[in-house]
Amino acid sequence: MAFIEIHNLFKRFKDVVAVNRIQLEINKGEMLTLLGPSGCGKTTTLRCIAGLEKPEEGDIVIDGKPMLSKGFVQPSKRGIGMVFQNYAVWPHMKVFNNIVYGLKLQKISRQRIKERAQQVLKLVGLDGLEDRYPSQLSGGQQQRVALARALVSNPKVLLLDEPLSNLDAKLREELRFEIKSLVRRMGITSVYVTHDQAEAMVISDRIAVMDSGNVVQIGTAQEIYKQPANRFVADFIGTMNFMSGEVVEVLRDTDQVYARTEFCEKMLCQTLDSTAAAPGSKVYASIRPEDVQIFTEPPQAAENVFKGTIAHKAYLGNFLYFFVNINDTLIRVQVAHYLPQEEGQELYLFLDPQKCIILS
Amino acid sequence: MTRGNSMLAAFLWLVIAFLVLYPLSILVVESFKITSTGGWGLGNYLEFFRDTYYLKTFGNTLLLSSLVLLTTTVFGVPLAYILARYRHRGKTVFTALILLPIVLPAFAGVFAFIIFFGKYGTLNLLLMDTGLIDKPVNFIYGHHGLVFIQSLHMLPFIVLGLSAGFTNIDPCFEEAAEVEGASGFRRFFTVTLPLCTPSYLAGAVLVFLWPFTDWLTPLILGQVDFLPSVSYINIAYHFTDVHRKYMGIVAVVVSAVICISLFLLARWGVEKKKYTGLSKGTTSEGRVIEPSALVKSGAYVYMVFIAILVLLIPIVLGLAAFSRRWTLEPFPTYWTLENFRLILLESPGLVKNSFLFSGIALIFGIAFGLPVAYLIVRTRVPGKDALDFVITLMLAFPGIAIGVSYLLAFWQDIPLAQYWIIMPLALFARRLPYFLRMAHSSYLQLDPSLEEASEVSGAGKIRTFFKISLPLLLKGVLVGVVMFFIMAFQEISTAIFLYRGGWETLPIGIYLNWHRGMEFGIAAAMAFLMIVITFILLLIISRIGGGVLKAAWGAAEK
Ligand SMILES: Nc1ncnc2c1ncn2[C@@H]1O[C@H](COP(=O)(O)OP(=O)(O)O)[C@@H](O)[C@H]1O
Ligand SMILES: [Mg+2]
Repeated sequence: MAFIEIHNLFKRFKDVVAVNRIQLEINKGEMLTLLGPSGCGKTTTLRCIAGLEKPEEGDIVIDGKPMLSKGFVQPSKRGIGMVFQNYAVWPHMKVFNNIVYGLKLQKISRQRIKERAQQVLKLVGLDGLEDRYPSQLSGGQQQRVALARALVSNPKVLLLDEPLSNLDAKLREELRFEIKSLVRRMGITSVYVTHDQAEAMVISDRIAVMDSGNVVQIGTAQEIYKQPANRFVADFIGTMNFMSGEVVEVLRDTDQVYARTEFCEKMLCQTLDSTAAAPGSKVYASIRPEDVQIFTEPPQAAENVFKGTIAHKAYLGNFLYFFVNINDTLIRVQVAHYLPQEEGQELYLFLDPQKCIILS
Repeated sequence: MTRGNSMLAAFLWLVIAFLVLYPLSILVVESFKITSTGGWGLGNYLEFFRDTYYLKTFGNTLLLSSLVLLTTTVFGVPLAYILARYRHRGKTVFTALILLPIVLPAFAGVFAFIIFFGKYGTLNLLLMDTGLIDKPVNFIYGHHGLVFIQSLHMLPFIVLGLSAGFTNIDPCFEEAAEVEGASGFRRFFTVTLPLCTPSYLAGAVLVFLWPFTDWLTPLILGQVDFLPSVSYINIAYHFTDVHRKYMGIVAVVVSAVICISLFLLARWGVEKKKYTGLSKGTTSEGRVIEPSALVKSGAYVYMVFIAILVLLIPIVLGLAAFSRRWTLEPFPTYWTLENFRLILLESPGLVKNSFLFSGIALIFGIAFGLPVAYLIVRTRVPGKDALDFVITLMLAFPGIAIGVSYLLAFWQDIPLAQYWIIMPLALFARRLPYFLRMAHSSYLQLDPSLEEASEVSGAGKIRTFFKISLPLLLKGVLVGVVMFFIMAFQEISTAIFLYRGGWETLPIGIYLNWHRGMEFGIAAAMAFLMIVITFILLLIISRIGGGVLKAAWGAAEK
């Protein structure tokens, strides 16, 4: 049985459905990320777990105890720690008082509180700063205070709402790894919210991709990147060429189909979910830029070879992008940065049928 | 360009020097004058702080200030919380009603409450008629009445500041406390309230200073042992006993020094406590909550109670205004328009003077305030911050100090006080900050690139100001203008020292008529007229945009 179970959770604000009957299971000790564009309902889901929102329907079970169906359990009784998007570090309290605020409400001796605070301060790398006010700390340090406050009472569940989004890029990357190793070391079950796919892929054990209040896919970073459930997921995570078209023929006993696309009559593609592709269904033949192979002479392959011209060439440091025009469709191709071809030159593209997937 | 700005700054400083610094320094200098010897010295001050009577007055005033602050806080905190956080019907109406006293003249409240709560006032008579009491209860005469009237008058300053604070703090601070396990009251007292200290402090200092400013309420209630009332009586009634006059001046200076110091202290406190990074990071509209039915009804009862107290002012004055010979009866029995006939037809001078003086003060205010706002917001002329500082300090200055200092400064050497122009000048000096704040804040919101675009296109500074800045500023400026007019219109503390026969304004007329004894019908009618005029002006403000609330805010941001 999962440590946190979310059943059929539904929450709306007036006419806006923020969370649309989602199902989620989070295992003990796991770090699950809710990933999706802004406004897709990540924060609302997290706040429902915390008890800061009352959902209209559904139930949330934490460690076997229902939070909603047997009477609403107050946030303070759920055994959670939470890190807010803009830290919510109380500006009128010193770092120490911020951290021990929750401990003081429990029946714990002053000595014990002090020890515990020192431990956590050390853990997040803030030892020596306990007498500062938040305004005397940098953004990164404030974030650590928020983290320390959330961790200090050994919560069963840690909730983090875009904890790094207000920091600059360098610090963000650093803290990602720090949070990951810290949380893993403590073995706390955690739910992490972010709209940054790179962050999600680095930090999480599993990712739940959300779109307009729905969870559209759950899986490891690799599963989601390699086998996106639909066009939305593929587009949101990484870069993908989408060629709209329709299925013309399903090959028996394989996962392959032929699709007609905007620039060719027949393209051989892989289906991830063989039931979805019936002849005539509207689909996107999709391929990642790094999976497209280029040739100056026509290659040997029998299928999926197309001739095009380089419309644009963009230098991105460690690689180049060619935007190759095939019958007025631009295909983005990621190539090694030393390729000499220039704009206007002709090329052959090979869209490997193994890598070219059908998405709806 | 910069040269023009410097010259403008120099000119504005000159105006301030002449209309503010010069008279106030004369006031201070005069307070050191020893009548018995004709020399100068600390004698008056030594006497003031040794004399048990003055010390008692001083202590009384401090006590009153503390009580008024306590009362407004105890009543204001829940009120602000209800207005800011509870979802309820009629929010705008209640807010407007509760804030109403800001724009009503202070004396209107005093008169209304005396009529209603007085010894043989409506409430006592009603209670006696029903047999609940057989002797009148003293509701109003005494310290308790003073605390009540001044508290109701100043309540909006606490409520406005705090409810804005409650609305503006990021909900996540309280949610974090909730997650950490603090519920209800504990969360409110450890997180919510401390985070609102700056907004509270800004209002609280004005509340605390009010008893150091308000001479009229104690006087009418027959409680004269307070600094401002003693100053007024010493200066206005004892012009024959010159020594008492100087002691009055000393009392004025002492009050003024206290007001300025506390005001500065509070500003410093607000700056220090202003927590940066309180901005909202979430989509939510602040923590608006749906209280339980019981709490909600309690909140309604409470709001209605305060609203009724406020509404008593216009209602009681209205009853008195349209009647005559209303004594020893709970409600008037003889209805008439006679009072208004007397005011408008027999002595139309009061209304005319009020409009004329306030109007001229307003023109001075605009002509002075707009350039000052421009200097402060858009230039780096040396001395502009000091200019802003001096003008802001005027908010804390007791009106009585300005009135007396004008009397002293513009009597002999510069005999301006012998001409009626002194009246609008004094109103202008007293109420200037009201207009300036408004102009200032709308100037801040005006994107400088709009003006720069005009200058790049070849327009000069002055042309740019009139063609680009002014039209864009107009809304804010108009609200400031009307607010300034309202405040100038009800000004009495300065005017009472300066008026001569024929220069009486409505507030002075009210005061004089009240003084004449039983003829309060006319005073009430005048006060009622002022309330009506104020209402019309507020309506104009809300038409201009920004709404009554925002207009009241402009006043409260002082
Ligand atoms: N307190 C609220 N009141 C009204 N609408 C809200 C509120 N909170 C969130 N929403 C709406 O619910 C949807 C989901 O919001 P949210 O969960 O904050 O998204 P995310 O965190 O993924 O950006 C959005 O359309 C948002 O506008
Ligand atoms: Mg969010």
